[in-house]
Amino acid sequence: MAELNQLSDEQLVKQVYEKDKQLYAEIIKRYQIKLLRYANYLVYDEDKAADVVQQTFIKAYINLKGFNLKKKFSSWIYRIAHNEAISILRKYKKELPLDDKIELIAAVNIENALITEEFNDQLNQCLSKIPLIYKEPLSLSVLEEKSYEEISEILRLPIGTVGTRINRAKNLLKKLCHKIKK
Amino acid sequence: MSQNKKIKNQSVDLDMEKSIMSQINSEQISMKPQWYFVVGSFLMMTGLIALSIVSVFFTNIILFSLRSNNCFNTIRLDMMIESFPWWMPILAIVGIMGGLLLLKKYDLSYKKNFILIAFMFIVSILVVAWFIDYSGLNEVWSRRVPMRRFYQHLKMEPGNSKLDFEPMANNFRKIQYSNCYVN
Repeated sequence: MAELNQLSDEQLVKQVYEKDKQLYAEIIKRYQIKLLRYANYLVYDEDKAADVVQQTFIKAYINLKGFNLKKKFSSWIYRIAHNEAISILRKYKKELPLDDKIELIAAVNIENALITEEFNDQLNQCLSKIPLIYKEPLSLSVLEEKSYEEISEILRLPIGTVGTRINRAKNLLKKLCHKIKK
Repeated sequence: MSQNKKIKNQSVDLDMEKSIMSQINSEQISMKPQWYFVVGSFLMMTGLIALSIVSVFFTNIILFSLRSNNCFNTIRLDMMIESFPWWMPILAIVGIMGGLLLLKKYDLSYKKNFILIAFMFIVSILVVAWFIDYSGLNEVWSRRVPMRRFYQHLKMEPGNSKLDFEPMANNFRKIQYSNCYVN
């Protein structure tokens, strides 16, 4: 078990398809919380987020041999989750996106004040109004603490665009939160 | 509230792991073999190249066709519209769209600006097609056996079956050009 922890994601993937498929459980363990949080942030529904993540792990397993071991596994699996979330969003487009249940855990660091429950409620209201193109990079940057380079790999955008979108998202968030506070 | 949520999340996680692993163990889901991806990439690249060639070819044919009938003084616009091979631009557009779809799916667009790639793809097709027309390659092709009939068909007016021979087709084009320049 200790050995497993020392393996990188890419090494683990190699072990899964070369030696023991049971090791895929370790990959699920490593990513399920992160992906659930990310999917929840995008689809605003815990059940749908769970579906997104389940489908992500299934698709990742089916296509595991198509993963290029020279690339980063986390970017690859986040990309699958992103695609799944987008297709779920398209499927339920007519439904109202906001669900008050969303909870932002840990890594939230905007203005150092997002931890309180009261602020979370306000933040949820603001977030629901931000377009998806800004929401995606912001969630990856703030919640998942991904680097701009990783975000650009996941969203397949140039690094400059990622930076611009994150800045715009933060500005939008500030404006929207400010209005709601008033 | 928060405590309950964490407990719920943990149970979702456990269920998910169990559910996926049981599907794997019962072989309800299995990994696609390596060759599937190798063949997939190969076919994707072949398709992309083929679509590019098709797009260049048809765009060039359009230019060739326009150049063969480029005098509006002698040929009425409605005649030109009537004689224009409309299926070619449609095929060219289908080729370009197909190429763009493949580009989007293929990892070539990975981490790069897709709009820029799409723009470059279209521009390169137009440039190559124009170059073939400009350099006179299509004139050479129009005299070669495999393509001759095809190109000659484009040089003719509709219904003018007597222009089925190269010298006559050339004469016809000379008349068209001379009329243009005289007028």
